[in-house]
Amino acid sequence: MSKYRSIIVIALAAACALSVGCGKKESTTTGTSTTETGKKFVIGMSQCNLGEPWRVQMNADVKAAAAAHPNLEVLYKDAQNKTPVQQAQVKEFVEQGVNLIIISPKEALPLTKPVAEAMAANIPVIVLDRKVEGDKYTSFIGADNVKIGKEAGKFMVKLLGGKGSIVELKGLMTSTPGQERHNGFMEGIKGSQIKIIFDADCHWLEPDAQREMNSALSRFPQIDAVYGHNDPSAHGAYLATKQEGKGREKQIKFIGIDSLPNEGVRYVKEGILTATFQYPTGGKEAIDTALKILNGETVEKNIVLGTKVFTKENVDKGGAPL
Amino acid sequence: MSEKPVERTDNLKRGLAALGNLRGIIALVAVIILGALFSPKNVATGWPIFLTAQTQKDILFEYAEYGILATGMTLVILAGGIDLSVGSVLGFAATLFSLLVIGFGWPPFVAVVVTVLAGAVVGMINGALISRFKMQPFVVTLATMVAARGAAKWISGGIKVAPGGQSWYHVQTGTPPFFSWLTTGVGGTGIQPITLIFIVNILLFILVVRYTKFGRHLYAIGGNEEAARLSGIRVAWDKIGAYMLCGGMAALAGISNCARLEIGDPEAGGTYELDAIAAVVIGGTSLNGGRGGMFFTLIGVLIIGYINKILSINNVEEAQRLLVKGAIIILAVLIQQRKRE
Repeated sequence: MSKYRSIIVIALAAACALSVGCGKKESTTTGTSTTETGKKFVIGMSQCNLGEPWRVQMNADVKAAAAAHPNLEVLYKDAQNKTPVQQAQVKEFVEQGVNLIIISPKEALPLTKPVAEAMAANIPVIVLDRKVEGDKYTSFIGADNVKIGKEAGKFMVKLLGGKGSIVELKGLMTSTPGQERHNGFMEGIKGSQIKIIFDADCHWLEPDAQREMNSALSRFPQIDAVYGHNDPSAHGAYLATKQEGKGREKQIKFIGIDSLPNEGVRYVKEGILTATFQYPTGGKEAIDTALKILNGETVEKNIVLGTKVFTKENVDKGGAPL
Repeated sequence: MSEKPVERTDNLKRGLAALGNLRGIIALVAVIILGALFSPKNVATGWPIFLTAQTQKDILFEYAEYGILATGMTLVILAGGIDLSVGSVLGFAATLFSLLVIGFGWPPFVAVVVTVLAGAVVGMINGALISRFKMQPFVVTLATMVAARGAAKWISGGIKVAPGGQSWYHVQTGTPPFFSWLTTGVGGTGIQPITLIFIVNILLFILVVRYTKFGRHLYAIGGNEEAARLSGIRVAWDKIGAYMLCGGMAALAGISNCARLEIGDPEAGGTYELDAIAAVVIGGTSLNGGRGGMFFTLIGVLIIGYINKILSINNVEEAQRLLVKGAIIILAVLIQQRKRE
């Protein structure tokens, strides 16, 4: 009995979710007249998880870009950070017969086969942010963390006039973005007299960064700047410094990466961070590329996104491309 | 005359029990000495940084949230239960509180009351399902853990609640003064209100557990629920009470988290329940219930806080950190275990 009940509950929940989704879609499509001629296209988008704000932003960017094209309908799926779920989602899209799949994979290897199968079924696939193995995909769109780290390093050198003591609050160092943002940064500060006097793995988490910064502050009377592998880390370091109550947050410069509108960019606007470097989501570029593919144009196999820096001077103008 | 030997063994037992209490303190002192020995020194004065008042305050401040969670968790564990939902309730409360203050512009005091009540309601649901419907605490709180996380994401729309996050938010720039107040030292002591909440709360509940009827009931229920029932204790009400307090305290920890990060993060508190349980167990409270106490938990929180501080202040690599942490937890529990023999 309880088994049936749970099935009914799940079915009801699913029905609710679907009806909400449909309701929203209808209200947007009826509002805009179909100015663009041509067929209607359905795009399936599988996001590896919506727990990270950056990925929420990616979906928002896709949604905003797709809203400009009334002939596009995008179906969103959230794999909740589970690879098997994402594998199933790709297959579901294939069975559903969507016109194109956008996937931001959780892991490369296990998703290579489902993506290749979709390609074999004549459904083009755009891979976003993280790669899949081999070449059985239509287009890969991603940013270059090494370049972003390097730009941050070069910026730091300029900011401190070539020498100083800094704290590096790293992202999860067993992940590629963490390693690349570190390696790029080291490349950027090479040849200068900037010393990393304290570093710690903060797992991308703000509370961890806050704790590590406390330790750094109690150990070193002189800290010139903090390099956070993401904006929450840099922000956490700022808060730790402010909460220390010695006013050192006015001397120390904080730099972060990601530039989400509601995080890094806002912190720069409020004068908390000196700079944040954008790690673009590629959401808009994915829709642009999808349209080209659907209209029969050829697209580049690998599209590397550029980065932007946001500082107090340019933040109101939307940052400066690097 | 024949009573004397009995009395002696009683005294002996009592003495051993006191020693058992001391063991936790000895372990804590050992950790502090370790910290002092390995601490980097201040360049100017040569004094170990670990022993500065600032570092001590940092530790209490950083572990206040865990401490508040562990306080509630102790009540539940003493009564033979477990609450896996506290981490998610923390996240839910952080989101709700920030939404009320930043989003709707409520006065902070009202928001605190509403948020703590919301946490207590989650606890009440846990307690009611467990005691009335005889469901396993592990299963029930696992379910509320998932659901509370869902609720946090739902009310926030999946994004962190910060000033200017949505165009309709009441606060568009800056940080609500109440957040800053909670994290700024009061009266020149440099001790933050969040730290005070943790300390006052746990001291209060040390007394509650030791000297009130409710506290004694928790031990009785955890020791033998059936016997407690037969002796006239209204087991269900006491259990619901323990879970409600646990939920309310998780909400309090959520408010602290929100103020400390100046953001309501719906993902906040992930796996915190494990840290809270670890603190309780390292302190020496039995996971089987009925044995232990709130003072032990205070020791447990401090041991974890000190160990983490030592590793962090010495800039120990991540891999070694995890290894050392695991080893020390086992060591601490071993020390605790021996007193039971």
